[in-house]
Amino acid sequence: MKKLFDRVWDGTDQMVELAEKALAETIAELGESAPAVMPNTAYNLSCYMAWLGKEIATLGDLKAAFAEAKAMNVHEPRLGNVFEAGKATFLAAETIEACRYAKDPDPYKGEYHGHLTDAEVRALGVPLVTGDIPGFVVIVDPAPSDDAAVELVKGYQSRGIYVFLLGGIIDQLKSKNFAMGIGVRVVPVGPDPWQVCHVITVVHRAAMIFGAVKPGDVEAFDDYSFKRIFAFVNAFAPVRDIVVGCGAGAIAMGFPVITNDEKDMWPVPKSLLIQPDVDAFIDTSLEARDIKIKITNIDIPVAFSSAFEGEIVRKSDMQVDVDGSKFDTFELCRSRDVQDIEDHKIELIGPDFDKFDAGSAIGMGIIVEVGGKDMQTDFEPVFERNFHYFINCIEGAMHTGQRDVLRVRLNKDAYAAGFRAKHFGEVLYAKVKSEYEAIVDKCQVTIITDPDTLAKERAEAKKIYDKRDERLGSLTDESVDIFYNCILCQSFSPSHVCIVTPERLGLCGAVSWLDAKATHQLDPNGPCQVVTKERVIDEKVGLWEDVNENVSKYSHGNLERVSLYSIMVDPMTSCGCFECICGIEPLTQGVVIVNREHGGMTPIGMSFPDMASMTGGGVQTPGFMGHGKQFISSLKFMKTEGGPARIVWMPKDLKELVGAKLNASAKALYGIDDFTDMIADETVTEDPEELLAYITEKGHPVLTMDALV
Amino acid sequence: MKETKQFTTVEQMETDMKKLKEIADSLNVDTFEGRAASQQPQCKFGSDGVCCTICGMGPCRITPKAPYGICGADEHAIAGRNFLRMAAAGSAAHSDHAREILHVLHETSPEGPYQIKDEAKLIRLAAEWGVKTEGRDIYEVAHEVAEIGLLEFGKPFGTLRNLNRATKERQEVWEKQGIAPRAIDREISTALHMSTIGNTTDPLELVRQAMRVGMADGWGGSMLGTDFTDIIFGTPQARGTSGNLGVLEEDQVNIIVHGHNPCFSEMIVLAADSKEMQDYAKSKGAQGINISGICCTANEVTMRHGVKIVGGFLQQEHAILTGAVEMMCVDVQCVFPSIARIKDCFHTKFVTSSPICRIPGSVYVELSGEDTETAYKKAIELVKDAIDNYQNRDQSKVWIPENKQDAVVGYSTEQIISSLDGVTNSFVASDPTGTYKPALDAIRAGVIRGAVAMVGCNNPKARMDHNHTEIMKGLLANDILIVGSGCASQAAIKSGFMDFDAKEICGEGMKRVCNLVGIPPILHMGACVDISRMMLLVTDMASEWGVNTTDLPVVGCAAEWMSEKAVAIANYVISTGLDVFLGINPPIMGSSKMLEITTEGMRDISGAGFTYNTDPHELVRLMVETIEAKRKALGI
Repeated sequence: MKKLFDRVWDGTDQMVELAEKALAETIAELGESAPAVMPNTAYNLSCYMAWLGKEIATLGDLKAAFAEAKAMNVHEPRLGNVFEAGKATFLAAETIEACRYAKDPDPYKGEYHGHLTDAEVRALGVPLVTGDIPGFVVIVDPAPSDDAAVELVKGYQSRGIYVFLLGGIIDQLKSKNFAMGIGVRVVPVGPDPWQVCHVITVVHRAAMIFGAVKPGDVEAFDDYSFKRIFAFVNAFAPVRDIVVGCGAGAIAMGFPVITNDEKDMWPVPKSLLIQPDVDAFIDTSLEARDIKIKITNIDIPVAFSSAFEGEIVRKSDMQVDVDGSKFDTFELCRSRDVQDIEDHKIELIGPDFDKFDAGSAIGMGIIVEVGGKDMQTDFEPVFERNFHYFINCIEGAMHTGQRDVLRVRLNKDAYAAGFRAKHFGEVLYAKVKSEYEAIVDKCQVTIITDPDTLAKERAEAKKIYDKRDERLGSLTDESVDIFYNCILCQSFSPSHVCIVTPERLGLCGAVSWLDAKATHQLDPNGPCQVVTKERVIDEKVGLWEDVNENVSKYSHGNLERVSLYSIMVDPMTSCGCFECICGIEPLTQGVVIVNREHGGMTPIGMSFPDMASMTGGGVQTPGFMGHGKQFISSLKFMKTEGGPARIVWMPKDLKELVGAKLNASAKALYGIDDFTDMIADETVTEDPEELLAYITEKGHPVLTMDALV
Repeated sequence: MKETKQFTTVEQMETDMKKLKEIADSLNVDTFEGRAASQQPQCKFGSDGVCCTICGMGPCRITPKAPYGICGADEHAIAGRNFLRMAAAGSAAHSDHAREILHVLHETSPEGPYQIKDEAKLIRLAAEWGVKTEGRDIYEVAHEVAEIGLLEFGKPFGTLRNLNRATKERQEVWEKQGIAPRAIDREISTALHMSTIGNTTDPLELVRQAMRVGMADGWGGSMLGTDFTDIIFGTPQARGTSGNLGVLEEDQVNIIVHGHNPCFSEMIVLAADSKEMQDYAKSKGAQGINISGICCTANEVTMRHGVKIVGGFLQQEHAILTGAVEMMCVDVQCVFPSIARIKDCFHTKFVTSSPICRIPGSVYVELSGEDTETAYKKAIELVKDAIDNYQNRDQSKVWIPENKQDAVVGYSTEQIISSLDGVTNSFVASDPTGTYKPALDAIRAGVIRGAVAMVGCNNPKARMDHNHTEIMKGLLANDILIVGSGCASQAAIKSGFMDFDAKEICGEGMKRVCNLVGIPPILHMGACVDISRMMLLVTDMASEWGVNTTDLPVVGCAAEWMSEKAVAIANYVISTGLDVFLGINPPIMGSSKMLEITTEGMRDISGAGFTYNTDPHELVRLMVETIEAKRKALGI
């Protein structure tokens, strides 16, 4: 039997040889000074960055660094050497792919996903933290049958496990018309083993972005991937030596490999598992990586998983179209006395989906009534906002909008499987009861499709929304006695603490002050803790001794001071999953804001990934700050530096999203009408000189303000 | 921020020991360092094993000019007889200790001070020995099993019943080579008889009997001792403790237990734990009662209660020299008689308890296996006495070194299997719980290269703990798992090598294993008597694997041995099929044949033999070489 270590070394040798060849050919073609970069990342060739501390810009840099990678391939029989060889395999793989991208920045033309952008990696932050993505699987090579392939991937998908695919299994899924893509968390990475580097870089970037791990700190990278990234590998027989070489790298990082190959395979506890029964792959894998899936049993005829959150239902595929632009729609969560609620009552008022023609637009209302002795009306909007997420996790359903402007679509497959109106009720009942079990004792759901009832109930709901807005409007940092902290991210970003106030939501955009309050109520020892605000140091800058003490305690001493309203003085840190980042634009002495979705450049010469890499991981970088989208229009945004009047540039989409509220704030603060028109965007310019000219022409208020730096 | 574990170096320990030695000097009292110096140069004939004092005609010493003793024996016969007598004495020590435990078992009762703590283990053993358990009172079973156990010492016919726990291959080898032990006492008698004036002079046959009498220890006395100690006091489970002189407490009543047989110390621990005594200590101005231990009694009570370790064999005098010890309670073996002199310089009380270990200058409070009823009462009185003595502590004489380290101990084979269960996968059919398969898989794949049993004492011939710790570092860096016992384990504890964080000094393989299994890289398996656990460990590993014990990439190492028990142990470890590496030369070097037989000839008998080397780094190299050679032979 060929020894395991020998298999690893043979695999490493093969990958190194391929890399050597690719590198020589590419250099011969493009020259050593040609760039060797992956698109849209501030962490280029992250294997080199992480393990060798190398910043690679050109093929020449790559050539020099590759020599170091090769030196890691030492054939001495100790696991340490085998781990190094495994990493060398990944470095060689990254070399091959770097050569490919050097020749063509879009080498896979949509057939495979290849490299993931920084934005795609950062988008994983929140779902990772909340446990929506409990882990990652990399599946290599074809399953024993096409059906087995579908079964396996579907199984992972329904458990929320993020799936990366390499090799023949992609063709198997294609032949079965299985929907793949970032949106459904099944990523066809590439056809060959060396595209594995695109998965490995996700891990490295997570460590650098969320964990503030420094390039070259190999031990910290190993520790981060071992303790915080719940990934594993499924490799199908026959497993080639080159895959065994990659497996050594995966195991070095803490990711177990599960295979059905029994030939020349050596079981290693919790690291290399031989499971001849492919049907048992999922259970075996999850246990091997200690992944516990929180299962909520929901009585519906389709799957329910966070993996379906990004699923899109197209018009052609639509059975039911709840359309708020044409009909009455609404969704409402309201609290009632416990005794007035019949637990698990699901009522439908009006015709069910089978009474409508396929693809027809209809109106629909959803009322979720909850009761419990700790329930507060303040929690209603918190729960209600999650209906969007709960409904999106239904396989075949799509939900957008909120309150009384909704769009909910159900596809034909889900309908054919028997999904009907009351199943929305089942989902909401099950999720509300399980997610908020500490507060909600009883819950009942009413689904309304009857037009008259809809009109009446929608009008009722509107009154409630108005009341809420009144309450929200009165909620200011000054009007409350306490703030909350949020350390939900600490599983990935151990030194970061968010301070959440009524006027400053968490930088991920997912935790408002009310959310934090509810979270605290749900679990008093959980991730959101009360922060008092009794000992003020400087209210303008947003400095409190209580806040500093709290931040120091919860960041384990990493941070001593945090201001709430300044980006220059002790700005709040971020975990890395911020929605937006703002940074100083020196020429105008204003700031540019860029959101994660924006792929282009900004006038300060940095893209979102570049700016984002300046902060994150709990590091304070004055002049740069991550924040939520809704914070932009807050009266507290950069209050110390003069407020939102500092904003000189934002991507157009973002401007449209926050425009109305931002205009209102500018009006309130400065008496300026249509302030957003003064803010430039990518359609105006990405050049600082032109930016200055533009805002000068518009009479932007920043021009009369004191210099920032 | 990542914090790197601060280990305690041998140099740091030596600094502490030196300062305590200075205190001894200032008090004009002797310690081992001074006595060892006074003994230099040590007698060459004795060191080489060629001085014979067996009969009244002697002593005879072999030199080139006088190649034979008066009776005509040559250097090989003399060294061989001395060697055999050491093994016999060691075997007697362990076995007599075990006999005492069996007597205690025979006295156990539901209301008495000694009870059955591990019923399941007793029932397993009863089933193994064919004792009916169904519908019977557990104490009735215990007493019957005790009687059968006691018969193992003197039964007229047959060999020891535990031998059938060994692999079939081993049983055949032992039978064929004439080293399957008969009754324990019989083998000790035979050894003494064979080596008395006018009997065997063939060194090979003397070594063969040394193996057999060693077997009577490892598969007899020691194994009985371990099993029944577990049954009475509980089978060890993983638990935390700490170790080194720094565990002595300034504001508590310090009672040290020392020796080997835990029957006495268990009572002291129990008594000190009582609310009555805790309250009494507080009433006398102490913050509490701090029980800590030395030598293998410490190992016994730390494995079962997490009692702290003051230190190894060579630190017994220094513990008293801290001036902070109210009482030292000893049972049997490895007790320095000098304690009686040193304690006179302080308020410390020195209590002996066994008729086997009577020392002038000590207070004698007998606790015997045949009379257990008053044991707890006596322990209470002693603890009370120690508390009363707290006020006599002269603070001006107190100096407690700061060094101490945390450790995780308690790795019985049962605990090891339970730890390994944690890394099995319940969905993989070929991955059962309750076995050593995870460890074997790790060895076969190469993640762990092999295992070394690090055992034995301290010996002033080597720097204290230096051989132990250098070898441990070397082996762990080479991904070799270590199981430890005796004072070797205490060296590991004091250095910090038995803490979870000690994985830092390991190679990636051991580091990963520690991380996944949740164990320290050195597993504390107990006292020197518990090396029997290791024999069962290798036996079961070999059986599960389907190979012979001699094939396993596992060896034994006594880097700083000094006791005759170590000679018995080495002989049964070799008989079980494992090579033994010694860091202190045994007294046989004056006989070329004994050197040849113990390093080579023994291999023809059991498939294993000795390797001697006093350089710890050389020992690491030699052990790694042996382990890698065995791996190669296995095709892994």
